[in-house]
Amino acid sequence: MSGYLKNIAVRRVLSLLVLVSVWEIMSRMGLINPFYAPAPSEVLRVVVSLFVEGTIFRHLEATFAAALAGLIIGLGLGIFLGFAAALISWVADVLEPIMLLLNAIPRVILAPLFVIWLGIEIPSKVALAVVLVAVLIFFAVYNGIKDVNQLLVDRVRTLGGGRMDLLREVYIPSVTAWVLGSLKVAVGFAFTGACVGEFVAATRGLGYLLQFAQSTYNAALTMGLIFLIMAFVLVLFFCAEAIERRLLRWRYRGSSEKTA
Amino acid sequence: MLRVVDLAVGYGQEPVIEGVSLEVASGKFVSLVGPSGSGKTSILRAVSGLLKPVSGHVELNGASDSLGFLFQDDALLPWRTARENVALGLRIRKYSKDAAQTEADAWLARLGLDGFGARFPHELSGGQRKRVAIAQILALKPKLLLMDEPFASLDAIVRTRITQELLNWVEREHLSVLLVTHDLEEALTVSDTVYLLSQGPRARVLASYDVAIPRPRDIFASRKHTSFAPLLERLWHDMSDTMGSAEFEARR
Repeated sequence: MSGYLKNIAVRRVLSLLVLVSVWEIMSRMGLINPFYAPAPSEVLRVVVSLFVEGTIFRHLEATFAAALAGLIIGLGLGIFLGFAAALISWVADVLEPIMLLLNAIPRVILAPLFVIWLGIEIPSKVALAVVLVAVLIFFAVYNGIKDVNQLLVDRVRTLGGGRMDLLREVYIPSVTAWVLGSLKVAVGFAFTGACVGEFVAATRGLGYLLQFAQSTYNAALTMGLIFLIMAFVLVLFFCAEAIERRLLRWRYRGSSEKTA
Repeated sequence: MLRVVDLAVGYGQEPVIEGVSLEVASGKFVSLVGPSGSGKTSILRAVSGLLKPVSGHVELNGASDSLGFLFQDDALLPWRTARENVALGLRIRKYSKDAAQTEADAWLARLGLDGFGARFPHELSGGQRKRVAIAQILALKPKLLLMDEPFASLDAIVRTRITQELLNWVEREHLSVLLVTHDLEEALTVSDTVYLLSQGPRARVLASYDVAIPRPRDIFASRKHTSFAPLLERLWHDMSDTMGSAEFEARR
């Protein structure tokens, strides 16, 4: 295998290019029915036209606004409730069964209820994204504090540390690691909440557009939107990973020479 | 320096130790040996205040901040560098950030870790992490050191080297030490007095042994001292007896 083919990223991109090329060739040869799977070039043409004509922007704005608002509020709420439950026992008694229930059910089933309560505009989508993200982050924080390394707690205590020292030196860094570990999943959840909410009832948004494409049996638009959403989530996923690597550099920084 | 009087400690209904009394005089090195489950670590945790005694009490001559506890694991904060870990205790004691870090660097250099201050614990070897943990404790200038098998996880060469360095430091600074160990030879090599605990639960002090090897000590030369082998044999037999009787009782 030549030098650059040993690079995993190069191999992945090449595999994708081969797959797309085979799909394109088979479509052009009439081996694949374009009604079900239009050629990649056709999907690309539809996506490009959405941007050239400018029709996509109001939908992008709606989805991004709902997802990012849901992500930020969900993170804040999850962290607050997680800390409250871990530090105050009666809060845990009340919250734990609710959160366990919300975690056990597919939370997207709440979408119709939010539409009834909050209408078909952005707030109902934000609410769904918040519920999806907050439950995830609640358990990250709650378990992060509960499973904190007791040895580190003892270490700080024997060095003379009090509650504030423990919070600053042990609990917050420990919980940060858990939350940042869940951040990538939370980004996906926030977009799931926004898109599913738009899918149920909306006047704009990528989910709304997807629902329109599906109802008109427009496979090219459907695929284009799916790839578009995947691309956006992937970009945010890498941003979340970059934040995680920056803030958890103590975990990721490579080890150098070790001697006795 | 330290008196433990009629101490009982327990986690559930039955005490792990009961009626344990021992003393660490100022500048003396005392070891606790005994079978697994004899509550040796519990005694250290009770002395340090991490564990509340069921009964009895601990008398410490001096403030509680004159006490340093070296755990079996290095227990360094993984998100802090070696320098920040050493500075942690100093920061808790209200040193300014700069003063604490300067002091931490000096301690790292003293322990042979000059230039390693910016590394995180996972970037250090087991021996280096242990040295950071020692620096973290010694930087607070404790008068009494509690040590819970602190070097058990290290390989023999690193372990011997670090033990000798710490022993030199303890003798030079006239620190008092209470060491928990499984290793009878190590206990006799470094200690002035060795206490033998019985098998738990309800473990108690079975006997104490005075070690007459002169100081300063070299851990290799100490083993060749005329009193070493007979004392080791006596301690070994007493320990075997207590373990044997416990096994016999368990079978019965």
